[in-house]
Amino acid sequence: MTYQEDLRQALGDAVTFDPQILRAYDHDVGEMPRALMGLIEHRPQVVVAARTVDDVIKALVLAKKYDIPVTPRGQATSGYGGAVPCRGGMVLDLSSLNRVIEVDTEKATVDVEPGVVWQELSRTLAAHGLDNRVYPTSAPSSTVGGWFAMGGVGIGSLRYGSIGDNVLEIDVVGLDGVIQTWSGPDIEPYHQTCGAVGVVTRLRLACRPSEALAFIASNMPDAASAARFMADAETGLTPYSATIQSAEYCRMRAKAEGHAPAVASGFLVMLAVPEAGADEAQAACLASAHGGVLIGREAAAAEWAGRFYPMRIKKVGPSILVGECYMPLGGFAAWWRDLRAALPKDDLGLEAVAVRGGRLAVLVYILDHARSLLYNLRIAKAMIPLRIAARHGGTAYASGMWFSALAKRLFGPEKYKRVKRLKHAVDRRGLLNPGTLNGPGLPFLPFASLSRCILAGTAFLAPLAARVSYKHPTDHLMQGDRP
Amino acid sequence: MSTRKHTEAATNSCLSEELAYAVDTCARCGFCKVACPTYPFGGGFEVFSPRAKVYFLKEYYEGRVDLTPEWVDRLYRCTTCERCQSICQTAIPLVRLWERVRAEAVDRELGPMPAHKKLRDLAEQWGNPYGEPATTQSQWLLPDHAPLETADILIFGGCTASYRMPSMLQTGVSMLTRLGVPYAYAGGEEHCCASPLLRTGQLSIAGELISRNLRLFAYKGARRIVTPCGGCSKTLKHDYPVFAQKLGIPFDARVMHFSEVYVGLIREGRLKPVKPVNKVVTFHDPCHLGRSQGLFEEPREILAAIPGLRLVEMAHCREESRCCGAGGGVKSNYPQMAAAIARDRVAEAMATGADILVTMCPFCQGSFDQAIKELGGGIDLCGLEALLLDSVAV
Repeated sequence: MTYQEDLRQALGDAVTFDPQILRAYDHDVGEMPRALMGLIEHRPQVVVAARTVDDVIKALVLAKKYDIPVTPRGQATSGYGGAVPCRGGMVLDLSSLNRVIEVDTEKATVDVEPGVVWQELSRTLAAHGLDNRVYPTSAPSSTVGGWFAMGGVGIGSLRYGSIGDNVLEIDVVGLDGVIQTWSGPDIEPYHQTCGAVGVVTRLRLACRPSEALAFIASNMPDAASAARFMADAETGLTPYSATIQSAEYCRMRAKAEGHAPAVASGFLVMLAVPEAGADEAQAACLASAHGGVLIGREAAAAEWAGRFYPMRIKKVGPSILVGECYMPLGGFAAWWRDLRAALPKDDLGLEAVAVRGGRLAVLVYILDHARSLLYNLRIAKAMIPLRIAARHGGTAYASGMWFSALAKRLFGPEKYKRVKRLKHAVDRRGLLNPGTLNGPGLPFLPFASLSRCILAGTAFLAPLAARVSYKHPTDHLMQGDRP
Repeated sequence: MSTRKHTEAATNSCLSEELAYAVDTCARCGFCKVACPTYPFGGGFEVFSPRAKVYFLKEYYEGRVDLTPEWVDRLYRCTTCERCQSICQTAIPLVRLWERVRAEAVDRELGPMPAHKKLRDLAEQWGNPYGEPATTQSQWLLPDHAPLETADILIFGGCTASYRMPSMLQTGVSMLTRLGVPYAYAGGEEHCCASPLLRTGQLSIAGELISRNLRLFAYKGARRIVTPCGGCSKTLKHDYPVFAQKLGIPFDARVMHFSEVYVGLIREGRLKPVKPVNKVVTFHDPCHLGRSQGLFEEPREILAAIPGLRLVEMAHCREESRCCGAGGGVKSNYPQMAAAIARDRVAEAMATGADILVTMCPFCQGSFDQAIKELGGGIDLCGLEALLLDSVAV
């Protein structure tokens, strides 16, 4: 029996080898240069759309039997390549494994399958007087399992930390088909590792009681004042969530949505605070102390309502280069100053979400056009925010496949060692998401890490890329805040 | 492997500049995938999602893949409910995109689907997709209805209401009759609005039907065209002006769905719901009325005006309303999928605990009628205007 026949017999119509269908699984949200994609085997040979845990078990057991690399996938709403195959093989689509198993109102927890979508989960929890503690800005589509596997932070992270901090228990299926349940520190190796040491089939999440939120937004004159206001607000106003946006980002959004920008210059600091304890006068005092001023409640509420739509700026792109990193709040102003100096020709749309412990998860958007000349050079600019962040105490946001060479720094040496040991124990042949951890090698030099080549290549090209700016037809609308 | 040549000139050659740009802006966020009512019927494979379809179209128009019969089939598995485009991060006009590529499939003789060809054949022969003779078009008229030859208002019955689900049309016209509002009706001369043909990419026959209707409207000199159908009103409002310009036929009538007429009459105090209707109802926003025309408040205003009536909303309502499964040619060619989508929506309605599922589109009503029967009852079904008629004293 061939592996195709075996898979078909075991999984029926949950498995496909149709080349047209396989093509839909060879990418994620990232718009990577074709030359780069050509260096990996990004198109799978088989896709399993798992509908039950039993499907996952069967798929993994057969993958082991036939030596098939397996790339687990949620909705592929990240651009790090963590859900993209690098050695072909099998994509294990978990988005249909999407039942909310049980809500425990007393303990304020919920058990879900990995394909549950964050926004749908919020709706389900609302009926029980609960809500998600943290969720991504891609909540209308991204899955609980996918965000956990990538290791995300987002809305609510100021109060509750990362997704990893809010998962209490998981079920994991390995290549042997055995389900194991982990809790506490034993969860750690499965967080941020994109299924490289096992496929998560159940997560128990801590929830928060539903609470009404009020929204306070302040226009701060510069990055330093925005950071200071954020730090003071964290202790003084106990917000649930907070973000910082550059005026250029506000202008990009406004242009895409057809309204006036929320702020014309400086930065917009947005706080979501419990309605019961919302003290606008105190917030105004804090803002004023740092040279800022509150914007109207309606505008603040509109910003909150638009939190799921950061990519709307692609409408004026039509492509965007995205740089992402963690920054300590204390280093934010200096990082921003250096970033502006490094990219003097570009409008930098910045959106940062505050994370517990005085950190920011920062996204930098530069409008571009993937079909224009020199896009493949300009894409190197996306690495500049991270390179500068390293000088100011910042780190990578995630590793996935493209930045797998940064995994050790991102995880920390202890966790990295632990994950590697586990990988060696459960997956010696490197079948589970082989693009992560070690990363794929180059086709002509299999022992040379593609991820390291990307990091080195972009570092080499970045100074040149920084000199080349995409002239957007509406460029003049973005002017106004460059130094 | 594609046989299309990938040249600069060929790139996006079949799309307007605006649509080509829109395809490029896709953020691949997948919001559309989660919202799509037909995606779950693709076995859980990404390729059935709107996101994958946009990706495919990008590849196709850049000459890397070809339009295969399988892809054509996938592109026809869409009810054109507009949920995908209303949730789209970059506001891509997705339904226009689907319709454009369906038209291209028809041009290349890869489409439409078999059931849609039948609709075209019937529309060509009879002027309506049900294959009914024009002589029976006026049969829905009740004895007290008295249409004039010409009037400010021209009733456009639409095929589904005229030939299959006449209650909404009859009730609306009864209301106008009782209020003494003069109206004209061109029974026997009215042609299909062409919505099912436009949605399935059959532009040539659609253009013919539209041309005939435009000439009829011009001849009748109506200032307002009133219809009970979501699909007809959407098409008359959005597509007819484009065709009128293209065909050089004047078209300056205001198109109204009956709900807009009722609201106007209630606001003017001419229509007074006074008799209590002591029921709990839930309202289904028809896609082509709600998302297409923005008619979310009008039906709720009418329901709120009826004494004793209590509205409970479904989990997905207004902009987020789920589809009945019938639109875009899905019910005719993929009846099982359409029926399953309708059952899901009825189940959502039943979960509210309402006595009655209310809607205001004969197409939706037909789908739900069948779905409620399949589910063994559990909720009543009613047109919004029937409730209004029960309550008014004119």
